Amino acid sequence: MKYRLLAGGSVLVLAAALSACSSPSDSAGGDGRTTVDVWLMRDSVSDAFQKEFTADFEKRHPTIDVKVQIQEWDGIGQKVTAALAGNDAPDVIEVGNTQVAQFAQSGGLLDLTDRTDELNGEDWLSGLAEPGAYEGRQYGIPYYAANRVVVYRTDLFEQAGVDAAAIRTREQWTDATAQLDKGGTQGIYLPGQMWYTLAGFIWDEGGDLAAESGGTWSGALDTPEALRGMAFYKELQALGKGPKDSDEDDPPQAEVMAQGQAAQIISTPGGANVVVEKNPGLKGKLAFFPIPGKTADTPGAVFTGGSDLVVPAAAGHPEEAVTFIKELTGDTWQKKLAVAMSYVPNRTSLASAVAGDPGAAAMAAGAANGRATPNTPGWAAVEAENPIKDYMTAVLTGGDPEKEAAQASQDITRAMNADS
Amino acid sequence: MPVAEKRTAARAPRWRPDTRPTARPARPAGAGGRRASRLWPYALVAPAVGGMLYLLVYPLARAVLISLQDFRLRQLISGDAEFVGLRNYRTLLSDPRFWEVVQRTFLFMALNVFLIMVIATLVALMVERLRRIGRTVVLCSLVLAWAMPVVAATTVFQWLFHSEFGIVNQTLTSLGLTSFDRYPWFANGTASFVILVTLIVWQSVPFAAITLYSALTTVPLELYESARLDGAGAGRIFRSVTFPVLRPIFLLVLSLEVIWTFKAFVQIWVMTRGGPGDATTILPVYAVQTALSSQRYDLGSAASMITVVLMSGVLVLYFRQMFRQEDESR
Repeated sequence: MKYRLLAGGSVLVLAAALSACSSPSDSAGGDGRTTVDVWLMRDSVSDAFQKEFTADFEKRHPTIDVKVQIQEWDGIGQKVTAALAGNDAPDVIEVGNTQVAQFAQSGGLLDLTDRTDELNGEDWLSGLAEPGAYEGRQYGIPYYAANRVVVYRTDLFEQAGVDAAAIRTREQWTDATAQLDKGGTQGIYLPGQMWYTLAGFIWDEGGDLAAESGGTWSGALDTPEALRGMAFYKELQALGKGPKDSDEDDPPQAEVMAQGQAAQIISTPGGANVVVEKNPGLKGKLAFFPIPGKTADTPGAVFTGGSDLVVPAAAGHPEEAVTFIKELTGDTWQKKLAVAMSYVPNRTSLASAVAGDPGAAAMAAGAANGRATPNTPGWAAVEAENPIKDYMTAVLTGGDPEKEAAQASQDITRAMNADS
Repeated sequence: MPVAEKRTAARAPRWRPDTRPTARPARPAGAGGRRASRLWPYALVAPAVGGMLYLLVYPLARAVLISLQDFRLRQLISGDAEFVGLRNYRTLLSDPRFWEVVQRTFLFMALNVFLIMVIATLVALMVERLRRIGRTVVLCSLVLAWAMPVVAATTVFQWLFHSEFGIVNQTLTSLGLTSFDRYPWFANGTASFVILVTLIVWQSVPFAAITLYSALTTVPLELYESARLDGAGAGRIFRSVTFPVLRPIFLLVLSLEVIWTFKAFVQIWVMTRGGPGDATTILPVYAVQTALSSQRYDLGSAASMITVVLMSGVLVLYFRQMFRQEDESR
């Protein structure tokens, strides 16, 4: 009975294969070790930092293994949603500060209110702590913050005879940029859909992306203040060859700058590391200044970006997850992270860690005037659809600003209230 | 839904219902093994049927269920949702934006199907008249275009029309049309719509053309000959001979193309995500946007259900028309 033997054999193989599949997930193996699954975002940590941190963590917590997966920002909202709804959620997830509110509200995250003391909750950056809270309970733990500055080429500035230190106002900025925008050089590479930068210009004018009245949010791009912000964006965008129909990720602006023609980009200071990585010839030729404001005494308003760490309610190892968060957001590693990645640490008392870093200094000057996107769960829907990007492209390609702004505001209003 | 599914239905089905009673061969019945042997076939198809039920019927039933519930991010995560009857359908049907999307969907479908049918017919007629080498070349190119994966083709089109590096802008500019220097095609609603129609027509013509061509080869040559002897021109021959003979195939291809363009999602999602504004948002895109961007899974499911109903409505109209014509021609 050859066939029966064969069948029996294949069943055995199948059974073995199935049990092999299931073994990694029940991670508390015979040796008493637990694996904590972590999702971090692209550019959140460098390879070197990740290796160093993991090695140190596993040495200090011999019963815990760390498995880090790096996720892409594109489409991350849906991925996190799926993870929270599934049974096999990771134990720790990094979530962008504009997106954390909707997850905090969703009921899919572990309430960490009782742990805020041991996680040094008393001096967290408010731009990260507030979106992570919902109805008085803390779900998101601040991880790091960053805001955008101007990254510029010192050699090109010198050639054009421009003194970067003297640029304190918008006019001085556009004058200098126009002076740089000659021959093969682009004064500034500003893609048409960099809406965080537009938000800063709108805040400078006293406008906002959306406004709340009586508990309802509505888009506010059609206010005179917001229109002035867009007009300035258009003026600046014209001083280079940035594509009008894409954002800073398409193509990645750091790679554009690495090609050598762009004199300035607007980026987090960490972006400069990427430029040098792509083109080592630019090492030592990049420097920073805060985005200029309307007057010399206040720098431009900037969007405070950053991330929170959350623990899904469905996480298999919540206790180990908190241990992981405690280490990564603790003094030692926050200081190292801030230096390695040019980020703002998650607590105000750690700000001195990056005092010696020129990028961080420019960032700190801007952060004094830092702002956030509307703090409401509905905002994530606006970002997912992003009518602001369409609006910017429409205006930059010759559309009527007032008409386009009215349309975009209407779309923002609809997206923000889709859940009600 | 795999696109390949519809592509396998290349042969003309017979629409005449088979009214003869099926003759059952008398089966020699062994006394004991009778029941077992009768159950065997069912046991053998059970895994396939079970798999299909789980993969096709269960999601459909689940979508119907969700469309009747209050189902958002919170319910997705917690797992229990309240029934709200037809509230989601009421919300959708009273939303003017939804009706704009429905209108656009029909415009999109009509335009695509019309172009596909006309171009495919012309290509099929041309191939029939070509000599062997020409025919082989054209058929090979058709098959190659058809074999191109959807996402790959869409990406290629995206690059063709890229504002910065696209060959279309480069060509137009070098021809002296300087206004197309770095022209952002996808920032313009009408342009995006037209590009998508072009892409979908390009992707669909091969299947329709090959099917129509293979049907053309079955038309008896004597019919053409006698028509020509009677002094009929090319147009007349097509109207009076070719089209009537091929009508079942035409209708089949037409309904398949209606289905295919109605649910064209991948191309749009990859290329424009329904933008700019709502310019390329058709029903399937709207459903996904509503469900995933706004976390309104309930409204998204309701929109999908309405899509299914509308699409079936269109098809029922065609089938009724077809059966009527078949009856008349008997």
